[in-house]
Amino acid sequence: MTGAQFLFYALGLATVMGGLGVVLSRNVVHSALALLLSLIAVAGIYVLLYAEFLALVQVLIYGGAIVILLLFVLMLTRSGESPLVLDNPQKPVALVVSLLFMAIAIVSFFLTRWKLAQAPRGVDFSVLGGSLFQDWVLPFEVASLVLLVALMGAIIIARESPQ
Amino acid sequence: MIPLEHFLTLSGILFSLGLFGVLARRNAVLILMSIELMLNAVNINLVAFSAYLVSTEFVGQVFALFVIVVAAAEVGLALSIIIAIYRSRATSNVDEVDLMKW
Amino acid sequence: MTFEDAYRLSPELILGFFAILIVLLDLGVRRKGWLAALTLVGLGASAAWTAVLTAGGWQGTALGDTLAVDNFSLFFKFLFLGAAALVVLASTGYSIRFARFQGEYYALVLTSAAGMMLMASGRELITLYISLELTSLSLYALAGFLKDPRSNEASLKYLLLGAISSAVLLYGMALLLGLTGETHLDAIANALGRMPGANYPVLFLGIIFIVTGFGFKIAAVPFQMWVPDVYEGSPTPVTAYLSVASKAAGFAITLRVFTLALGGPREAADWSLIFAILAVASMTLGNILAIPQANIKRMLGYSSIAQAGYLMVGLATLSDLGRSGIIFFLASYAFTNLGAFIAVIAISHRIDSDLISDYAGMAHRSPLLAGALTFCLISLVGIPPTAGFIAKVYLFNAAVQQGLAWLVIIAVVNSVISAYYYLGVVKAMFMGTPLSLERVTAVRPALAALAVATVGVLVVGILPEPLISIAQAVGRSLIP
Repeated sequence: MTGAQFLFYALGLATVMGGLGVVLSRNVVHSALALLLSLIAVAGIYVLLYAEFLALVQVLIYGGAIVILLLFVLMLTRSGESPLVLDNPQKPVALVVSLLFMAIAIVSFFLTRWKLAQAPRGVDFSVLGGSLFQDWVLPFEVASLVLLVALMGAIIIARESPQ
Repeated sequence: MIPLEHFLTLSGILFSLGLFGVLARRNAVLILMSIELMLNAVNINLVAFSAYLVSTEFVGQVFALFVIVVAAAEVGLALSIIIAIYRSRATSNVDEVDLMKW
Repeated sequence: MTFEDAYRLSPELILGFFAILIVLLDLGVRRKGWLAALTLVGLGASAAWTAVLTAGGWQGTALGDTLAVDNFSLFFKFLFLGAAALVVLASTGYSIRFARFQGEYYALVLTSAAGMMLMASGRELITLYISLELTSLSLYALAGFLKDPRSNEASLKYLLLGAISSAVLLYGMALLLGLTGETHLDAIANALGRMPGANYPVLFLGIIFIVTGFGFKIAAVPFQMWVPDVYEGSPTPVTAYLSVASKAAGFAITLRVFTLALGGPREAADWSLIFAILAVASMTLGNILAIPQANIKRMLGYSSIAQAGYLMVGLATLSDLGRSGIIFFLASYAFTNLGAFIAVIAISHRIDSDLISDYAGMAHRSPLLAGALTFCLISLVGIPPTAGFIAKVYLFNAAVQQGLAWLVIIAVVNSVISAYYYLGVVKAMFMGTPLSLERVTAVRPALAALAVATVGVLVVGILPEPLISIAQAVGRSLIP
């Protein structure tokens, strides 16, 4: 087993363990920490896939912003203090559906003949950036509008209404 | 070299974990976390395709970037709503928002 | 971005510009009515530019083929702008409930309209996805605008289920990207044509996931769980907007992606069957669950699920006639449902209740509003001389011609069932005893919007030919 392979299986294991922690833990804060583990491991997977820029973005946005935000909200709503019944009665159905999906998806992934390139390769930061502002300028601009909308929505909804 | 299928398998497992989470959990924050797992599964797929396949440039990586942007926006909005609900009910139970009711 | 690109993108750019302008002006403007007027100016400017593009022969693609300016997208742009304008007019009396956030309300209506217009124009998965999210995020925020527990819950439920469905949609899109290496819809279709048969399971998985994602947007059973609660909890003008514009946008993107990227014979046979099954489920469940509803917004929510079922009959036909049937149905449904909702907004705002039982005797308290609501409900059932009747005949005829008679029989039986609950409201308004004798009136802009909608229902019902020929041209332009 080469170093890259070992790293991949270790990171994959961490991702899955983190994911299991998110969906199985009975404590919301533990779930959030498990999510962090999973997300950081995914960043490692990106590095193995030659997507260093995305790995950076993943750590900054997911690790730095999203998980922190989740923890803040858990703190503000005091969800961590009392253990709650966190699952709904559909749990067995959910288990069947997701296992079924997993089986079908994985089997069909192995059946498929993918159009593989010569060797896996990444892309230069500058090329990626240039294409974002040239080929993908429309989605880029729309994304800025999306962020503006989220900002406005969050302020309006979270702000206390004057009674 | 790690075969492409192994990355896809990892993504499939992660996605079904997220799927299980959104269907089985009742707490809004936990559902949100499960959605993040699903989105990460999508991104692993996209980035793996971008690295391994004959395709137009690196479109998978660009796509993944936009997914992350939207995920951040969605989480921000969702958490503000959760705070508003918490405030209006003055309870720590955010999980009474029953998603499965017909 | 060249000059031509900017020119073709201008209808959306104008909306974005006005959205930001309104938020800024909101800080200084005291009389919020001006903001509504400015919103209408923005919508009008965008519509005028769309008209210039239509008449000036500017059809084509922009921004490296990511955006299509064809008759299909131009039609939907007019539809979204018109629906947004009617909703803004109808909100004028209602918007005092938004207190200090009226400017943001109008801005979000504009951004969501811009998102929908991009959804109808996108020719490429990334653009389509991000425009869908622009629309959705604006609508999630709008659903929570009343800031009471119900509205918050509606907003949260809408957001969580929307985010789940878009994650599923993304997985489907990613699989499509993996199979073809492309994100442009026509390139995907090309690559799928040469795809080895062993890859079909993954493609099928992708199709199911994409149907799930779009099914949520158009509120098809079994992806409809959000509809009743969100329709009930949202501010009523937003509900009207959701039921018409958001559904039309969902159908626009569905039509574009499925006919353009997944139009190959093998894929099409599969997804048309899926849509036929969803159509039966949506019609039947929507209509049956609408019957016991006591709240008129909830009832109209279930009714909109049933209407999505009728519309999906058109998706199952796979023919030009069926596609133009969807276009025609969407236009007449927009007039009809907006008319019904504008009347409901006016009445409910005045009597401060959404219960059908409180509508008793409304014909005596407000003959005009009750009459208009009755007319629109008749159109929803599909009784002549209304737009709804022509739309159903047109669409069902298209289905029969493709040998889908069984589907049409189910749809007709469902229309009969639906008469029961639609006419139940009419019966309450005309035969019931009024709870009070106080007159119910609406503000002038709302009455104007109501007039536009009901006249539209009547005109399309009596003189359908112009709209039919437009719908046919639009349907044809989808496949270049």
